[in-house]
Amino acid sequence: MTDLIKIYIPKETSACSVGADSIAEKINLLTQEHQHISIVRNGSWGAFWLEPFVEIEINGKRTGSSYLNKDISHLSSIEEFIDDFNKSKPFNILETEFIKQQTRLVFSRIGLQNPLDVDEYCNSGGYKGLEKSFEIGQQKTIDEIKKSGLNGRGGAAFPTGIKMQTVFDQEAKTKYVACNADEGDGGTFSDRLIMECDPFSLIEGMTIAAYSVGASHGYIYLRSEYPLAKYFLTEAIQILKSNNLLGENILGKNFTFDIELRIGAGSYVCGEETAMMESIEGKRGLVRSKPPLPAIKGLFNKPTLINNVITLASISAILLQGNEVFSQFGSGKSLGTMPYQLCGNIKQGGLIEVPFGITLNEMIYDFGAGTLSDKPVHAVQIGGPLGIYLPAHLFNTPLTVESLIDINGALGHGGVIVFDDSTNMALQAKFAMDFCQKESCGKCTPCRIGSVRGVELIDKIYNGTAVKADRILLEELCETMETTSLCAMGGMTPNPVRSIMKYFPNEMTN
Amino acid sequence: MSIKQLIQPFVAVKGGLIPALHAVQEEFGYLNKQNIKTLAKSFNISDAEVIDVITYYDDFKLEKQGQYIIKVCQAEACQSLGCRDLWDTLRSHFQLEQDETSKDYSVTLKEVFCLGNCALSPSVMINKDVIGRANSEKIIAYLSASQSNSKND
Repeated sequence: MTDLIKIYIPKETSACSVGADSIAEKINLLTQEHQHISIVRNGSWGAFWLEPFVEIEINGKRTGSSYLNKDISHLSSIEEFIDDFNKSKPFNILETEFIKQQTRLVFSRIGLQNPLDVDEYCNSGGYKGLEKSFEIGQQKTIDEIKKSGLNGRGGAAFPTGIKMQTVFDQEAKTKYVACNADEGDGGTFSDRLIMECDPFSLIEGMTIAAYSVGASHGYIYLRSEYPLAKYFLTEAIQILKSNNLLGENILGKNFTFDIELRIGAGSYVCGEETAMMESIEGKRGLVRSKPPLPAIKGLFNKPTLINNVITLASISAILLQGNEVFSQFGSGKSLGTMPYQLCGNIKQGGLIEVPFGITLNEMIYDFGAGTLSDKPVHAVQIGGPLGIYLPAHLFNTPLTVESLIDINGALGHGGVIVFDDSTNMALQAKFAMDFCQKESCGKCTPCRIGSVRGVELIDKIYNGTAVKADRILLEELCETMETTSLCAMGGMTPNPVRSIMKYFPNEMTN
Repeated sequence: MSIKQLIQPFVAVKGGLIPALHAVQEEFGYLNKQNIKTLAKSFNISDAEVIDVITYYDDFKLEKQGQYIIKVCQAEACQSLGCRDLWDTLRSHFQLEQDETSKDYSVTLKEVFCLGNCALSPSVMINKDVIGRANSEKIIAYLSASQSNSKND
């Protein structure tokens, strides 16, 4: 009898951006007459430099090989393809240093399986978290999250359990859960990976959150730049509904929860929670002033639990594995694992889920293997467009919530962007202001006008036409934006600018 | 499908205007005056209120767009691998500026900030396809391949 063979070809944005779909198409053609060969469109392992990473499983043994820039259009049979594959020295990705050095608690399933196979999801612990939550009840579910020490992974790092408690404590007939999937920070993709490679874990987490705070309706606000994530979420919602895992009387319990998927329309600031609510309500994405907190008066003026994708996916992981599995890692405000996203000018970029506290040196060299350009690393930006740039002598900084705050930065959503020594740092500083100018919602003056003035001042300094007063003015402008803006957009735009003025002072002038 | 039928499912939905705008734009390619009037009437708001929402969001267009909408990422990760040069090259190749559409409506060129493909920078999105490790040759080859495909169809 012929051995059963499974060929895994990822269906995920990064893999597809370098040709995974055309490989799948070709292999599909070659396997038409072969009953013993099946094709699985799995998620990505998050080791993006290997993409498209094709794996073959025979007799339970699974190995893979990178098909980056590899042309297979000339192959005329599947035997030829497998032959070719075997000659390419395939390896087990779980045995690579990149994966072995990680602790994947939240991203445990990505790459492994078909993201839309609900049986596989349930066989790998899926919906055990919700079952446990039903068993222990609402308050104890919230206590579990509190004990785990989970903080919001969207950027603000607010304790998730306390937010859940606040929504739970509100006496209201209608409450909402809103998932912030408007992952707009440059250099981040962890939300997208969860949505494309393990969407059920996000939806289960939302369902647990909804049950525990007493909400029956949820929204996922997804950015429009993620069409593949839209596909996976739409399918996942349908599949769960037809399996009684979403909708009325979930798992036979008297609990109903529905999810509506909302697509953003290209506005960065709609990732700010109050702007996101405005957008879900069908309006311009203008930031609201706080208080009232969304947990008390949120969507349509009802108590609303707003969490980022990773936070919600972490909730299902914590309920499944127990709070102590999570809280055993890290310290202080930085408990558990953090999915860092290593990218930019780096050889081995990708998703790195490790306990909090890894240093930039470890990340860049142990995981990333240095720059793609083979030039020295000059700077690293941490935490998206509102994050600080660090010079090489600070690469021993551990990446925790606290240590970044200590140096006037923020870990944000965990993006780490590497730049080599050809980088024009003045341009990077100018970009921070320019981005704010383009993306500001326009409601408050310091953000709307400050950013325009910021671009002008940095230009002047760069061109050498600035006088001393201009430099002082830029400092004061940063202070004004920081202290008087309505939200983090204007309030944190000065962070990258100041970090460049501080750590790369000689590079501000041409 | 008529525009009224298209809009109808969203009218009863809380905050349904933005999903409705997406649906109309998906169907007609952009939001023209007549459609804006119909949207306003269906949602029982003024034309100005509809335009107010449309003009806030980058995705919504009041003018006809190119058959290929080319979005070139200009965010930090792509900057680290030369997306500014790529942008300049594409601008001069297509003879288009930011958010401009070619006279024959074949191409619209746009800068965007982050496509979430930051470990395979620079990234470009053509309609719904993301291209990683992008360069101008890849983009031009993609366009000519897909143009010849559509001719063969």
